[in-house]
Amino acid sequence: MSENGALLSIKGLSVSFFTEEGVVKAVQEVSFSIKKGETFALVGESGCGKSVTALSIMRLVPEPPGEIVGGKIMFGGQDLLELSERQMRNIRGNRIAMIFQEPMTSLNPVYTVGSQIAEAVGLHQKKGQSEADAKTVEMLRKVGIGDAEKRANDYPHQMSGGMQQRIMIAMAVSCEPQLLIADEPTTALDVTIQAQILDLLDVLQEQSGMSILLITHNLGIVAERADDVAVMYASRIVEVAESRSLFAEPLHPYTQGLLKSLPRLGFSGRRLPTIAGIVPEPLHFPSGCKFHPRCPIGCNDKKCRNIEPRLKEVRPSRWVACWYAPGYEKD
Amino acid sequence: MTKPNQQHKEWGTSYGEMVWHEFTRSKFVVIWLGFIILLFLLAIFAPFLANDKPFVIKIDGRQHYPIFRNLNAADYSIFLAATVGLIQILLICRNHRRIDPSIRSSVLWRQVFIDTLIIIIGITLLYVFTPRRLDATDYKSMVASGKASGAVFAPVPYGYGRTDLKVREQPPNKQHWLGTDDVGSDVLCRLIHGSRISLSVGFVAVGISSIIGIIIGAILGYSGGKADFFGMRLVEIMMAVPVFFLIITIVAFFPRSLFNIMLIIGLTTWTEDARFVRAEFLKLRRQDFVQAAVSLGLPLRSILFGHMLPNAIAPVLVNATFGIAGAIFIEAALSFLGFGVAPPTPSWGQMLSLGVSTTGRFLWWLTLFPGLAIFFTVLAYNLVGEALRDAIDPRLRKAV
Amino acid sequence: MIPTLLGITIVVFAISRMAPGDPVSLAMGPGGMMDAQRAADVRATRMRLYGLDKPVHVQYATWLWRVVRLDFGDSIKHHREVIDLIKERLPITLTLNIISFVIIYAVSIPMGILSAVGRKKFLDRASSVMLLMLWSLPSMWVGQMLIGYLCGPPINWFPPAGLSSNYAEQLAFFPWLADRLWHLVLPIVCLTYAGFAYLTKQVRAGMLDNLRADYVRTARAKGLSNWAVIFRHAFRNSIIPVITIMATLLPAMFGGSVIIERIFSVSGMGLLAFEAVTTRDYNVVMGVATIAGFLNLVGLLLADIAYAIVDPRISFESAE
Repeated sequence: MSENGALLSIKGLSVSFFTEEGVVKAVQEVSFSIKKGETFALVGESGCGKSVTALSIMRLVPEPPGEIVGGKIMFGGQDLLELSERQMRNIRGNRIAMIFQEPMTSLNPVYTVGSQIAEAVGLHQKKGQSEADAKTVEMLRKVGIGDAEKRANDYPHQMSGGMQQRIMIAMAVSCEPQLLIADEPTTALDVTIQAQILDLLDVLQEQSGMSILLITHNLGIVAERADDVAVMYASRIVEVAESRSLFAEPLHPYTQGLLKSLPRLGFSGRRLPTIAGIVPEPLHFPSGCKFHPRCPIGCNDKKCRNIEPRLKEVRPSRWVACWYAPGYEKD
Repeated sequence: MTKPNQQHKEWGTSYGEMVWHEFTRSKFVVIWLGFIILLFLLAIFAPFLANDKPFVIKIDGRQHYPIFRNLNAADYSIFLAATVGLIQILLICRNHRRIDPSIRSSVLWRQVFIDTLIIIIGITLLYVFTPRRLDATDYKSMVASGKASGAVFAPVPYGYGRTDLKVREQPPNKQHWLGTDDVGSDVLCRLIHGSRISLSVGFVAVGISSIIGIIIGAILGYSGGKADFFGMRLVEIMMAVPVFFLIITIVAFFPRSLFNIMLIIGLTTWTEDARFVRAEFLKLRRQDFVQAAVSLGLPLRSILFGHMLPNAIAPVLVNATFGIAGAIFIEAALSFLGFGVAPPTPSWGQMLSLGVSTTGRFLWWLTLFPGLAIFFTVLAYNLVGEALRDAIDPRLRKAV
Repeated sequence: MIPTLLGITIVVFAISRMAPGDPVSLAMGPGGMMDAQRAADVRATRMRLYGLDKPVHVQYATWLWRVVRLDFGDSIKHHREVIDLIKERLPITLTLNIISFVIIYAVSIPMGILSAVGRKKFLDRASSVMLLMLWSLPSMWVGQMLIGYLCGPPINWFPPAGLSSNYAEQLAFFPWLADRLWHLVLPIVCLTYAGFAYLTKQVRAGMLDNLRADYVRTARAKGLSNWAVIFRHAFRNSIIPVITIMATLLPAMFGGSVIIERIFSVSGMGLLAFEAVTTRDYNVVMGVATIAGFLNLVGLLLADIAYAIVDPRISFESAE
């Protein structure tokens, strides 16, 4: 991964959870880069480790069971994993912000939404009470909430899901972060609201030039909004590509299977293709390539069963982790 | 993976089994469960552990078995209850897996119902038909004077009814390992027999309060609306009345008997259970499976007890365990204040009240030992109750 | 609240009337000295005097009417008005309970937070078990042990009974206060340890739950310090259930008062209640029960109001 023009560069990140039942390797050797001003999508099924990856960037992984066991996260010339907690707090909400999947439970029910936004503003921008309040109202307007002054005194439970998510976004972008991490921001919302929220993110991105790390399992959203995509499976990145290239020519069997299983207009009368088998349990990952039991090629191949393929750049800006991907076995 | 028409011999682990596994993971908890079982054994076999009559004695050439001859209705009742309970537990352990999960809870209910019926009818019959024997023979002096031989006494050779003023208020010594009380009865013997009182009060009172609480909670929770509103007002009245004071008042005004105490504690402590069950039922009645049952035209009894209750029972069970601890404590407090069972019936609370004699002496053995008994029993039930609650809850959290 | 209050009065009245025997017969005793006819006459006169010959609901109505004007009648034992007795004794019990209450909350909340925040596996389980042990200690046992070991010779750290020493009247204010406090120590210890154990557990459980919540994650993602997250966010949510506990704590403390006051010979409402019940002093019993029920209701109401204030999801209407 070239660091030129890269806002955030993750190299070899590994995160494990030490539980009573054993060590869960939630994230292994994850590497990708996010450029300035782009939307980068991180795709994968539930449990593949994408949320943990996102939390690791913010160093919000719950420490008792979880631990970042290796890797580097380069941001603004510094390795985020080397910073002190204090320095990290300076970055959170300020230069890197995050919004989450369930807006209802992600907002504190006993404080007004205005005070929660003002809290972020006051913390990082060292503004006084009235300045922070003014900024709050401004942010509420920016995210499209009408009657902003009144709304600022409402409590989260008085708002709809879509509005709550807008509040979350307002909180997150209030300090003009360089990177916004959006962990499945629309999964809990209606389809029509989904579009509105994504449009809002687009607008905000244009205005501020921030990058967005969009975590999702919805390939439709990826196709519409993302510039670059990384596909994760069972704690590893299996393919990275420009969004258009990925959809035009998926190189990894998993990606191919995903795309094939998408319902399409005009595709009627036949059975929808699926990927055979189920996602492996983190405590019992298969040996070799983690996808091999479900892979049409890998299930019969000795190499796939025993040796794990690493992520390699097989073409400019095209990364795959599969022995039989075109261009992989050059050396 | 099951094929449609395949008959299963055994289903997978049930909810109860999962809870049991989670529960027994902690050795600490299992030890306390063992302590509770020990208490049960103590209560069941009390007449064999502490009795002033011997097991067997030879008088004038004939063998007599005084202990067995003098077992009374209470003893037989406890044996009956214990046996029924044991059989039920064994039945559950063996057959649980073999029963179709969809009817498991109704089978269980039916069995519990039959058990309770057997116990109640059995106890009534026992009390009616068991002759009251009053054997005042002083076996010990017979042995001492040589008139009898081959006597085998119980480990604690004292009965709880006997008074011997010559040895009153003695600290622990070789004859009386834990000392004697104000009328000369052996403390250890009274402690052992007292466990019966404590445990039976615990269980019966909690049984009564749980049943009342479940019924009221189910009705209120299921009806919702107006009935619920008025019902909750009544429940609130019960909650606002100072319970302990109410109990004291009732107990003082009515004749003192063990059953009255059990009944009164049961009648005054059901509000917690009712609130739990009502809360669960309010949640459950909106759920699809309940609406489906209603639309299928199932009788109300079946919906409430066969479908909704098994889902709502968990907090009731947890509360019941804590309730037993609470009932034991209340009985001890009542007896301590002088409102509980009357002597000579042994009660730990009553023994505790003798800890300071009428002359103001501090009789430490009458304070320490009964107090420890109450403390450890209440603690055991509380610990087990908390472990049960932890076993039921995180199981749900882990699955998420 | 009014219907509940009425309900309490009905319950109290019903119980006193349900008891076997009536005050007149009890007061008269077996009456072997009078011949049957005269005994019947005396009885009838007395019943009429106390209004006991009227139908039950009339009796209730008359009683209720008097109660509203705080007239509970006279104590048979003390030969004084019940309301006077209550006025004398109530402040003592209230003082004891309020002090205990304050101590419990003041200590439990920090302890609960601390034990939730400092998370070492072993300390977790150990403190949980110890709190449960504290909670399981029977109060009469603790009281009696304390008296037995700390009050008699040779230690004599604390006085075994009463609220003031015999010579207290002759002391100046501060020595008198000190003497009072010295007497209060043991009873308050007995009243507080159980509530303390219970509340600490609740606070701890609430904090643990809330620290795991999504909005705490959001707060951290905003860059807030650990302190701010714990106190401003998690704690603020944790006190909500703790306040509702107030409602259950108050009735429980009154019950505990009866035992503690008996053991330490403190002349409060609890002891009054105990004596009244033992001597079948009906008027006192009903008076105490009504007042206690009323106070409980007040406590419940306060808890409800506090709950509505603290939790914005609850509005005043739905609090009832």
